[in-house]
Amino acid sequence: MSQENIFTLYEKLPTNLKQINPFLDRVFDQLAAHIKDAEQLFKVKLALEEALTNAMRHGNGLKASRKVTVRIAWGDGQIHLDVSDEGKGFNPRTVPDPTQIGYAENIPGGRGIFLMQKMMDRVEFYDGGRGIRMVKKIL
Amino acid sequence: MKPSDSVVGKYKGAFVALDIQINEKEPQVYSLALKGEINTETYALLADQLKNIVPKAKAIIMDMAQVTYISSMGLSTFFRAKIELEARAATIALINVQPSVQLVFDSTKFMGPQLFATLEQADEYLDKFLDGVQKGRIKPKIRPS
Repeated sequence: MSQENIFTLYEKLPTNLKQINPFLDRVFDQLAAHIKDAEQLFKVKLALEEALTNAMRHGNGLKASRKVTVRIAWGDGQIHLDVSDEGKGFNPRTVPDPTQIGYAENIPGGRGIFLMQKMMDRVEFYDGGRGIRMVKKIL
Repeated sequence: MKPSDSVVGKYKGAFVALDIQINEKEPQVYSLALKGEINTETYALLADQLKNIVPKAKAIIMDMAQVTYISSMGLSTFFRAKIELEARAATIALINVQPSVQLVFDSTKFMGPQLFATLEQADEYLDKFLDGVQKGRIKPKIRPS
C-alpha cells in the first residue's frame, strides 16, 4: 500500500453478521470526508460488505471465537481493501461463474464474489482463499 | 388485507433500517413499498415478508424509490421470489429503482426481476402478463433440477 495514504484502518472484527453494517457505517462516514464520488463509495462499500459477509459466513463458519481482519488504505487516488478470516480457506477457481447458463436456476447465493469483481478494479485471493485483496481507482 | 399503507415489517439495527409496507391492490396482486437498505442484516425481514406473500400471489410490484442500497443477500431474496413465482406462472416487477441500486441489478440482470421506471409501465406489463396467464399463453416455468 502507498506511503501517501491519507486514510488507513486496521481492525479485527468478531464474527457476528450484525457487526458488519455498524462497522461499514462508521468507516464510510469517515471515508466520505475524503472521497466525494457517491457512486464510487457505493461500489467500495458493497465490495467490502460482500467480503466481510463471506469471511464471517463461509470462512469463519459464523464461529464467534474467530476474527475477521480488515485493512483499508486510501491515498494516491486508490483504495485498497484487505479482508482475511481464520477459516480453512477455499479454492477460488472452484467457485462457479454466475453468468453461466444454469447457474441462476441451480445455485442459491454465491453472488458475492461476482459483485466484488464487478465493483472493484482488481480482486485477488491469497493464503489459500483465507484472504482477499481488492483495489479500486477513484480519481 | 385492506388496501392501506399498514406497516407490516420494520427492522432497525443500530445504524441500518428497512421498512416494508404491503398493500393488496386487488386479489392476489400485492404492492410493496420498501424504504432503507437491503443488506446482510435487513434482507431477512424482506425474505420473511415474501415468504408469506409469494405462495399466494399472482403478481408483486415493489416500489424501490426509497431503497438506497442492496447487497448480494438482497439480490438472492429477489431471485428466489422470482423463481418461486415463475414456477406458478406468477411474476414480480420492480419500479422506481434508484441509480445506485440499478447498478447492482444491471450487473446481474440475467437473473433479476423485471424493472420499470414507473408504476404505469409496471401495471401495463402486469395486465398483459395476467391476461397471458388467463389465456394460457404464459405457463409455469419449470426449472432444471
